[in-house]
Amino acid sequence: MDVSEKIVGPKVYWELPVDIPVLGRFHITETMVVSWIVMIIITTICICLTRKLKVKDVSKRQAFAEMLVETADKFVIGNMGEKFAYFVPFVAALFATSVVSNLISLTGVLRSPTADLNTEASWALVVFVIITSQKIKAGGFGGYLKGFTQPIPVLTPFNVLSELATPISMACRHFGNILSGFVINILIYAALAVASSKLLGLIPGAVGAVLSNVPIFSVGLPAILSVYFDWFSGVMQAYIFCMLTTMYIANAAEG
Amino acid sequence: MKVQDLVTIDPWTLIAQLLNLFIQVMLIKKFLFKPIREVLAKRKALADAELADAAKAKEEAESLKSEYEESMKQARDKANDILNTAQKSASQQSEEIIREANAQAVSIKAKAERDIEQERRKAVNEIKDEIGDMAMEIAGKVIGREINSSDHEKLIDDFINKVGEES
Repeated sequence: MDVSEKIVGPKVYWELPVDIPVLGRFHITETMVVSWIVMIIITTICICLTRKLKVKDVSKRQAFAEMLVETADKFVIGNMGEKFAYFVPFVAALFATSVVSNLISLTGVLRSPTADLNTEASWALVVFVIITSQKIKAGGFGGYLKGFTQPIPVLTPFNVLSELATPISMACRHFGNILSGFVINILIYAALAVASSKLLGLIPGAVGAVLSNVPIFSVGLPAILSVYFDWFSGVMQAYIFCMLTTMYIANAAEG
Repeated sequence: MKVQDLVTIDPWTLIAQLLNLFIQVMLIKKFLFKPIREVLAKRKALADAELADAAKAKEEAESLKSEYEESMKQARDKANDILNTAQKSASQQSEEIIREANAQAVSIKAKAERDIEQERRKAVNEIKDEIGDMAMEIAGKVIGREINSSDHEKLIDDFINKVGEES
């Protein structure tokens, strides 16, 4: 199979053969299905962690669950302040979904939902709506509009642009990192397969003919690279996305 | 199988992912945050209750202590009262006894004086009678005849009285 055929968007598993105006044909894509798997994984972990909760002499499992909740609390309240404590589940869900979505590509079978721009775009859209509503709440609708003409009216187009750039940059930053990991992963696998086929094909006789069809070089090296591209980048991007979310919302509320 | 473009905005996927995010928020809230927060709140309530119990016990101990001190003070006061009363009554009694003794002494003295006076008078009367008899005897012997005792009684009395006054 050619490499360029592998570097494509998510598969469309099923499509409703009816055109819906604006939205187009309804379909179930790989992104949606893997997202549901991600949700099932997260929810299962939550249920397992919160089984048989006790007030006294807690199990390690419960201590871990409590630590997660307290970390989320500390993160959100530390960045946004006590009055935004109701955002804790939202930020926690965002982080958990992002991390599990990024790392699910490690299975080698499932495509990360975060390697689809729509996923990040929907998250950034939510964040944008929250930012805007917080700004309107802080300064009123007039104050929100007036904010675009600050410090001088000439800057209005740039202010509108920067306002719109916030969600776009958030979505694209996350998407770009995960997509690049996805693409590089495919390229490395393909390159290593070609390398092993060519190098082992140099072995004369039947042994070379058999070995050249097995991508032996693909064992080992991609795992090391995946430490950066999947593990580090995946966790880092989730953290950055949540950090920016809390920062932007807290800033918006300050007016 | 049909595939989407690598970078594309697909409204249906966007909507689906939006709903997925909201559902995930609900699920994580229901299955992680709610139970954990409940157990944390319970633990906090337990700790608070224990602290409150300790504070209550301390309060009780303090009230017991103050009660004990109060009763000790009362007992001391009572003892002092009893002592004071005893001292007072003792001194009263002693005073009374002394007064009584004084009164008795005075009355005894008065009685003794009276007795002495009586004795003296009795003695004087006896002597008077004896002297009278003696005088009559002497006079009878001198005169040689019996003097009528009743006639001369007055005479003798006068004489005795004079002797008594002089003596």
